[in-house]
Amino acid sequence: MTRLDQFTSVFKSADKAVYSYQKLSFKRILVVTDLKSNDMRDFIQTVRSFLSVTEEAKPQWDSVSGEDFNSVQQLLDIIQDKKPDLIVTYRHLHSKAWQWPYSLGEYLDIMSQATSVPVVVMPHPDAGHALSHSLQNTDQVMAMTDHLTGDNGLVNMALSMTAPGGHCWLVHVENKQILDRYMDVIGKIPSIETDQALETIAHQLLKEPKDFIDACRSVIENENGNVTIEDVVVMGRHISEYRELIQAKKIDMLVFNTKDEDQLAMHGSAYALAVELRTIPLMMV
Amino acid sequence: MKITYLFAALLVMMIMLLALEEKIHAKKSVIVAWFAAITLFLASFFGLVYPETVKILGLDVTLPVYIPAIDWEVIAIILGSSLFVDVTSKCGLFTWIAIKLTKASKGDPFRLLIFYGVMTVVFSAVLNNVTAMIIVGTLSGVSLSKLNLNNKLLGFLLVEGLLTNVGGLLTLISSVPNIIVGNAAEISFVTFFIKSSPYVVVATIVTIIMGAKLFGIKALQGDVAKAEAAQHVAGFDENDGIESIWFFKFGTVMTALFVLALASASVTPYIKDLGMGYVALTFAAIMLSYYKSTAERFYQAVDWDLLAFFAGLFIVINMMEHALVLDLIGEELAPIIGLGEIWGTAILMVASALASSVTDNIPLAAMLAKILSGLNVPSDSTLWWAVIFGANLGGNITPIGSASTLVAVTIIHKFKLPMSFMQFVKTAVPFAVLQLILAAGYVLVFL
Repeated sequence: MTRLDQFTSVFKSADKAVYSYQKLSFKRILVVTDLKSNDMRDFIQTVRSFLSVTEEAKPQWDSVSGEDFNSVQQLLDIIQDKKPDLIVTYRHLHSKAWQWPYSLGEYLDIMSQATSVPVVVMPHPDAGHALSHSLQNTDQVMAMTDHLTGDNGLVNMALSMTAPGGHCWLVHVENKQILDRYMDVIGKIPSIETDQALETIAHQLLKEPKDFIDACRSVIENENGNVTIEDVVVMGRHISEYRELIQAKKIDMLVFNTKDEDQLAMHGSAYALAVELRTIPLMMV
Repeated sequence: MKITYLFAALLVMMIMLLALEEKIHAKKSVIVAWFAAITLFLASFFGLVYPETVKILGLDVTLPVYIPAIDWEVIAIILGSSLFVDVTSKCGLFTWIAIKLTKASKGDPFRLLIFYGVMTVVFSAVLNNVTAMIIVGTLSGVSLSKLNLNNKLLGFLLVEGLLTNVGGLLTLISSVPNIIVGNAAEISFVTFFIKSSPYVVVATIVTIIMGAKLFGIKALQGDVAKAEAAQHVAGFDENDGIESIWFFKFGTVMTALFVLALASASVTPYIKDLGMGYVALTFAAIMLSYYKSTAERFYQAVDWDLLAFFAGLFIVINMMEHALVLDLIGEELAPIIGLGEIWGTAILMVASALASSVTDNIPLAAMLAKILSGLNVPSDSTLWWAVIFGANLGGNITPIGSASTLVAVTIIHKFKLPMSFMQFVKTAVPFAVLQLILAAGYVLVFL
């Protein structure tokens, strides 16, 4: 390794992502269900109680019942008409497929990608598999990604959902399977010292999100002292790691990115999370 | 006389091969080693040299002729300094300073050019010009990319490259020609600094202003642009490269003590008998204590090519002395020197600069130092300074004129910026000419 390269690496490493805090609030919240009027009222009450953190901005709550639409296009037209800045719904609208944990249902699938509005996905009202601690409040909110560094939008969204006095978990799970694959290749290259490569690459992969979380913490402590920032930066398998964290930390809501500039469909790991993590509300950004 | 001409021809051949180092794919240490072996053999064959038994501390010692031919003080200074700098750079001090200054600039391009320019000069003086260019050049690449100022990077790198050779004039140990000529002329560290620093300050200011004008590097206008630039550089973390705060503080203190020890070496009792080489090696040993179990990786990083080159070069020059080649060159130089202080100094400086621009300035400095010593030129003569300024500033005329300008061009190419040999010459010559005019004026008027 040349000294030129060494110093370039030192300075690149010192160049860290800056976090800028932005207080987000929701003025128009749209609850989309496939329920009839009475059931829908109960559901909306549950949602409003759960999302009481949004009440500070005195939002206008609106709703769409199952009778208001019977096609994806109709639903998209309604959304376009009402112009919400937050949508709350659940999986498998107008379908019994919620019994099988293999998809989101056509409405949510398309809605989450065709609109730029964040969508809160509640556990299905008929399924009854919501964890006991969830749906009460949002005092434990977890923002998760495999690339947290520099993602101000995700952090701010998670903060906006965290109730005063609550804990906002910033979680970065580095995909161990991918690292293992690269290390397997590195292990076959004689000119690279394998153990040292594993140690330094793993260290650097985790250092960047740790540094970013530290930056977030110091800014948020000044701007929003009501929320405590917690962090988890680990190497692991995404779904199983998140499932364990949700149980262990009694997480009330998981916030994650679902849109990808390079593709129309939800990207791989986000789709798996949206489908499989059904026991707590999710916020798909 | 025929023997003298034979050796002179060998010297010319060696200098030519050193100039063509890249073309013939041979390290300069190897080239010089060939000529050291040949000249030693021929000198022995013609009876110019023979082993002598000398008394050292009461002991009779017979040394091979190539041992006293080498200036071990110079070798010790270079070995000790490079080890010291290499270990100290691991403490994060130099990158800490570099990032602190970047943040202090608030991302303003003109302020950044001033800070980086001054930093290049100071680092060149305290470390060496190659390390200075690597640190400041790579930081320029990263920070200007962050500021979306990639179009100014070429200007920054070129100005920094040219300033390494200006900074190389600041102290006695800032460049190898300084060490060689300073030692030969018996110029102390403090005297050297006092005499050279006013020029370095003026040349730095002039080079930065000229570079800013030529490359259109201006201060930011408007609060929005200033705030945006400040936010860009705020993300740099100066503490990121510091692995141990204890070692960082230790490295900082040791760097300050190192400069102080060198500055006072010629007047400190006992140390003055041991010389600056002792100081450099001792400080290297102290710093290496931190890495005592892995010190060998620093030995591996030592530029052995450079040290072997010096050893071989000193042998060749010593053989040239015995073969009276240096007397011959001295006779040729005598008319130049005889032109008087003004013209003699000016012409010697320009000739040194031109020679340094196309070939290594170290053999030139070593040879001229020997010749001037042989002519009994007094320590306070401006001729010594003509060689020092010429040998250093000549490196700014072509990209191969000095190791640091070569590093600057390497960084320029690393960032995929266009810069051919001739483009470099065309851009750099006005700077070099101005620096040489300033140097000639300064040496003649003030020294």
